[in-house]
Amino acid sequence: MKGKNRTLGILLSILICIIIMYLCTMSGISAISLQDASRIIAHEFLHLNVSMEGISNGSILIIRDVRLPRVILGFVAGASLAVCGAGFQGIFKNPMADPFVLGVSSGAALGAAIGIVFHLNTSLPGMSGTMILAFAGAFLTIGLVYNISKVGKKLPVATLLLSGIAVSQTLSAAMSVLMILNKQSMDQIMFWTMGSLNGKGWNQTLMVLPYVLVGMILLFSSARELDIILTGEDTAVQLGVNVEFLKKKVLFACTLITAAVISVTGIIGFVGLVVPHMVRMIAGPKHHVLMPLSLLFGGTFLIICDTAARSMVAWEIPVGIITSLCGGPFFIYLLRQMKKNG
Amino acid sequence: MDGNREILAFHHVAAGYGEREILKDVTMSVKEGEFVGLIGANGTGKSTLIKCISGLLPLKRGNITVCGRENTELKTKERAQLVAVVPQSYHVEYDFTVEDIVMMGRHPYMSFRKREGKEDYDIVEEAMRATNTEIFRNRFYNELSGGERQRVVLARAIAQKTKVILLDEPTSALDIHHQIEVMELITRLNREEKITVLAVLHDINMASRFCGRMVMLRDGVVLADGTPKEVVNRQNMETLYQMKLMIRQNPLFHKPEIVPIRVMEEERAKAPLQIHVICGGSGAVKLLEELDAKGYRVTAGVLNRGSSDWEMCQELHIRCVEEEPFTPITEKKQEENQKLMEDADVIVVADVPFGEANLMNLQGLEKMKGKLYFHKNALSSDYTGEGLVKQLEHIQMTKKIRYVGDHDEFLRCVAEDGVRLNEAGGELDSVQVSGGTKP
Repeated sequence: MKGKNRTLGILLSILICIIIMYLCTMSGISAISLQDASRIIAHEFLHLNVSMEGISNGSILIIRDVRLPRVILGFVAGASLAVCGAGFQGIFKNPMADPFVLGVSSGAALGAAIGIVFHLNTSLPGMSGTMILAFAGAFLTIGLVYNISKVGKKLPVATLLLSGIAVSQTLSAAMSVLMILNKQSMDQIMFWTMGSLNGKGWNQTLMVLPYVLVGMILLFSSARELDIILTGEDTAVQLGVNVEFLKKKVLFACTLITAAVISVTGIIGFVGLVVPHMVRMIAGPKHHVLMPLSLLFGGTFLIICDTAARSMVAWEIPVGIITSLCGGPFFIYLLRQMKKNG
Repeated sequence: MDGNREILAFHHVAAGYGEREILKDVTMSVKEGEFVGLIGANGTGKSTLIKCISGLLPLKRGNITVCGRENTELKTKERAQLVAVVPQSYHVEYDFTVEDIVMMGRHPYMSFRKREGKEDYDIVEEAMRATNTEIFRNRFYNELSGGERQRVVLARAIAQKTKVILLDEPTSALDIHHQIEVMELITRLNREEKITVLAVLHDINMASRFCGRMVMLRDGVVLADGTPKEVVNRQNMETLYQMKLMIRQNPLFHKPEIVPIRVMEEERAKAPLQIHVICGGSGAVKLLEELDAKGYRVTAGVLNRGSSDWEMCQELHIRCVEEEPFTPITEKKQEENQKLMEDADVIVVADVPFGEANLMNLQGLEKMKGKLYFHKNALSSDYTGEGLVKQLEHIQMTKKIRYVGDHDEFLRCVAEDGVRLNEAGGELDSVQVSGGTKP
């Protein structure tokens, strides 16, 4: 995809994305008519002069403070995970890589578990002790993995993956120990590790955004270099890519984004693996198309899953379960397609 | 252009992996506009040298300068603006199109602020045209054949607009059509675009034909450096490859050419007889070599200088009687020849066409004590009219001639003769022999 095609594809995806966001904001268990919801959005967010007659305060509250921020956070989370997945798949030259491959999720989960077990609370608005600990856990884990695998100035990809797995397993075990010792917190920890957008509002969304923005800028500005590294590290060096710097940059950006996102949402699996994969099949491997489309599709995918999670049954299903439920079979389907195409 | 400017210079370079030093002490330089071939056996560090230049492998000692600048001080991007590398073979698992791959060559000139512009597209276009790859610009690189891929990678290197292109065995995975195609492309770049080329080549003949200069590496040091004529000689090549081989002048390109002969030693004859070969064209080349390899003491004559048989004798240091090229053999020379074969246990007339000019070769054979073999083919390429048959009849009056069908049969007979002579002693012809039939 190049030039015009690329712009067209991205514009079309943005359009689809906005429509789906809109529809998802409309749907939910409390019946608010499409027309009412549209009026609320027009009035509250676009500050249009729309009559608010006959709309209850409750409905306004649900749309303005519950559904819309949740949809936006869902979009940000999905987009973040998908773009990080694309970035990791790039530097690892491995289509099986996802944002959690180096153990960022285990670190965050352990942090969260500690927060839950010790009921840590903060006075910061919208930021619980659990979130802070999850964020710290995520960052410390990647720092550890990075330092284990660093050889001189170099960061061999294979060592990075292996130490990621080792650290991740150890931290998971530590979390299990914590859960067994504190049976009363088990449910809560389990729930956290399945990921959910339940009860998250504007505060959390605004908190995550700066990290995500900085990380995204770093990733998007590496698009061309990620293309080149896909063709081999040695070649990339010979074409003028500072491979070691690129790896560190992508690692840092992805950690920043994922740590921020999952400290708020918990661990939402499969988005980061499946979405970039799917986009690559449609639009090819070039990152300046792959990343924006992953962003849009990842966001949209998570919104749809989250809408399903909160609307299918009377109680909330963790969205991580839905993504895996949809993502798993879909991924198997893709693999089989690939096998057929040789 | 300053033709003497050093583009690449190596000063006592040592490098390797872990404890193992592959390059021990390499000092050489490549000047602007040169086409240098780097040769050496497997594992002598040719590819390692390329890795060192592209900054993939740190040096243990010494230093490399690129266009006068210290290599370690160059930023990755700066280096990629000076040096392009074409690897041996290059696989890409992802669906990049040919144009994508060539455009990657422009990366050293781009930054966060500067993206692909018209100039870059023009350069890519030109590079694809130069390599004939524009016809499949939109095809996926990983669907191309080996030769097509190599052209695409070459196009990428051209798009890099560098001073020098390094090639790491660019043709080793290709068939001869594509090998020559790639080498011709590189030559054209070197001549027309004035790009300096340093190519690791494992094919000596290819290097000798296309490169203006050759550098030979062995055990991590430069063993020879010069024109193909200076480098490709038997001594150098035998040290390099540890095998028996022959160097000859390729008549088409006027470049030395290597003919590999054998690595494993030929089984030595149990009794190394002295054998005189009468030859003079090109039919005895193989026979001379095999006899020599088996350990026989070989002499030959009379040979016209410049003939293939003569070249082989020179290569193997076989004693022989020579005559000027295209000159009939004189009686004087034949006398020398007779002297040479006086003590021979066996005399063989090899597969050689006879005409008036060389019939003299057969004179006096009847007086020799050695056992006489005659290759039947010589009878079918007889341009003497009656001469040859008459001469043979004349010999046969006093001496038995054993006719053989091919050289292998002769080698078998000679081996048997050797054993018999060892047992009986004396002269072969006095011993009753089997083998050898009338024509």
